[in-house]
Amino acid sequence: MSRDMCNTSKSLDSESADISDQEREVTNVIFNSKDEVNSIEDEENLFINDPNNADFDDDLENLNIANFFHKVDSDQIIYQKKKRRLKLIGKYVMGDLLGEGAYGKVKDMLDSETLCRRAVKILKQRKLRRIPNGELNVQREIKLLKKLKHKNLINLVDLLYNHEKEKMYLIMEYCVGSLQGMLDASPDKKFPQYQAHDYFLQLIDGLEYLHSMRVVHKDIKPGNLLLTLEGDLKITDLGVAETIDLFAKDDICYIGQGSPAFQPPEIANGLDCFSGFKVDIWSSGVTLYNITTGLYPFEGGTIFRLFETIGKGDFDIPNDIAEPLRSLLVGMLRKDPEMRFSLRQIRQHAWFISRPPCSSPPVPIPPLRDDALHKMTVFPYLVEHYYHDPNENSSDVQYFTEHELNEMEKSRVDSEYSNGNANQSSSKHNRRRSKKPVSCISVKNFPGCNQS
Amino acid sequence: MPLFGKSQKGPADVVKALKEAVNSLEKGDKKAEKAQEDVSKNLVLIKNMLYGTSDAEPQADIIVAQLAQELYNSNLLLLLIQNLNRIDFEGKKDVAQVFNNILRRQIGTRSPTVEYICTKPEILFTLMTGYEHQEIALNCGTMLRECARYEALAKIMLYSEDFYNFFRYVEVSTFDIASDAFSTFKELLTRHKILCADFLETNYDKVFSHYQRLLNSENYVTRRQSLKLLGELLLDRHNFTVMTRYISNPDNLKLMMNMLKERSRNIQFEAFHVFKVFVANPNKPKPILDILLRNQEKLVEFLIKFHTDRAEDEQFNDEKAYLIRQIKELKPIPGH
Repeated sequence: MSRDMCNTSKSLDSESADISDQEREVTNVIFNSKDEVNSIEDEENLFINDPNNADFDDDLENLNIANFFHKVDSDQIIYQKKKRRLKLIGKYVMGDLLGEGAYGKVKDMLDSETLCRRAVKILKQRKLRRIPNGELNVQREIKLLKKLKHKNLINLVDLLYNHEKEKMYLIMEYCVGSLQGMLDASPDKKFPQYQAHDYFLQLIDGLEYLHSMRVVHKDIKPGNLLLTLEGDLKITDLGVAETIDLFAKDDICYIGQGSPAFQPPEIANGLDCFSGFKVDIWSSGVTLYNITTGLYPFEGGTIFRLFETIGKGDFDIPNDIAEPLRSLLVGMLRKDPEMRFSLRQIRQHAWFISRPPCSSPPVPIPPLRDDALHKMTVFPYLVEHYYHDPNENSSDVQYFTEHELNEMEKSRVDSEYSNGNANQSSSKHNRRRSKKPVSCISVKNFPGCNQS
Repeated sequence: MPLFGKSQKGPADVVKALKEAVNSLEKGDKKAEKAQEDVSKNLVLIKNMLYGTSDAEPQADIIVAQLAQELYNSNLLLLLIQNLNRIDFEGKKDVAQVFNNILRRQIGTRSPTVEYICTKPEILFTLMTGYEHQEIALNCGTMLRECARYEALAKIMLYSEDFYNFFRYVEVSTFDIASDAFSTFKELLTRHKILCADFLETNYDKVFSHYQRLLNSENYVTRRQSLKLLGELLLDRHNFTVMTRYISNPDNLKLMMNMLKERSRNIQFEAFHVFKVFVANPNKPKPILDILLRNQEKLVEFLIKFHTDRAEDEQFNDEKAYLIRQIKELKPIPGH
């Protein structure tokens, strides 16, 4: 089996150079022609710090691509078990990757003074500049988060800057995942009603707080609702939120941002101004529809089509959704914002007041890299740091070839199948993982990759 | 079924026994000691029906429904609260636990206990006066806050004459009682946004004349807590009308300006957050504008030196800079 650089260049292209090794916990090393081993100490060093490669992927198109296709046989690629090096950002100990969004990575973290587990959102200003309004939205979000504090709203614990690396560290409360992640991993893409009810109540509490602080969220959706280990729901992502002026007579907004499928008819129809609070009611309605049915009330192949259907405001509710949930959905998804339910009407609605019976087991929070318990990933770094003898370090470094790695992966998947816990989602998960090879190749040693 | 002793008593028997025991406790006759024992014993029985024990599950819904019905019919909840000071220490806690559990009971969308208490508001008023008795104040507090979660009950309390007693309770010399009363007071004024806004609007004069006394209290904690709550109330979007009215009154502005100069830095800081609303108001009434103009230079000078050590608090510095600019640019209304 042979593999050439074409494959690897793809993964470099997608800027995931320092991510997938987190998943695999191995870094790889190439024997170059001089047969010398270049181990990578820290994945952060690979691109970000290297001045030669600092703007590597920006200039990818300008490179002579012919130089890039370097043939490397698979037996020349060997992998090395990743070294766990303790990394501190201020008083916080860095752990493994938790997730990744358009704005940057989110990693596990431990406050070394309070021993509170945190999550850190790492924002690279270089990346932000490429997103329209990226920097502006982040600044606004930070400002908002600083003045808001509620049980059902994500709390910004600390904020650190690294001006040299142009990085921002937003230290937040630790959450295990979003409602969207749970839906994706569930067979029917929906929650039993009592579970949805629990989340919806918390969503309304959080939303009421936001509105009382004159903040319109504008992007309520399952992907922006996180859960803590205790099952508390946290509204997150105030990137497009808008604050109503303290002295404004009403809640008129002029700009509609947010996810198309969750936008109300007044935005889909392109109205100049609209009630801000009623936008959040609508998108909470779409969210409730989505988490209880597994469907969307409005769909369309393109944004244009989607907005056309939303603009009409007609939608169906599946027959298996009975009263009182049915009338709550209808009330929250009224086309006319004036007629649409207010938070108070929602609170007084029969479905809101009465807790649906426990019908089936709840949809669980999906495991992170096969760890259903979401154990703290900072711990192995601490063990390595405090209990590992640095003298024996050099002798016991483990190397693997591609072939060995594939065998290991295969046997792991086989054993999982034989244990009978290979449900659809986990096998899909594995397939995706195995498609993503370890990508942390020390490209800087290839003459063709350096800018001349 | 227990192996030894009497067979388990049904809800009706337990409620009847408890009522008799409380009655005899109330009379304080010779049998008081025995009554005390009976009260404790029966309270534990009721509590176990509702919560279960380490080796028994809570009773089935039908038994709990019977128990609730007996409690309503016998009027026992009120009787227990009226005699709370006569019940022993553990018994007081059991009463609160039983009360809160029964209160949370739901049948579909109905909360029968809430409906029951609406017809017997004496229960709420008796609980509120509980703050006057040191030995039961905190037990009553937990029950009151549980009641305040329900809009219907919060409404009865807010609109009652007894509500104004809270302005006295939050200032009592016993710290834990004052703080407990304050958290109930705050819950009543903030929990149900629309109800609270309506209440503050319709009773503006009465509430804020009482509130003024808290802001001028001798007690530092009262002054600080009430000032913080005032800021929260005024900045809550639901209380827009109340805010507009509050910041139109020159007396309120004077009070805040004096509080900016308080000895305590915490009070200065809280006062800043109320003061800023007066200055930011785009439609300042003439009396407010006059005060600000009269003190224009002094205010600018004062604000420049105000809490300069909060360098890392970006929000505060932005707001301060904004206020200074606003005050500098103030001009008298033309034609005056």
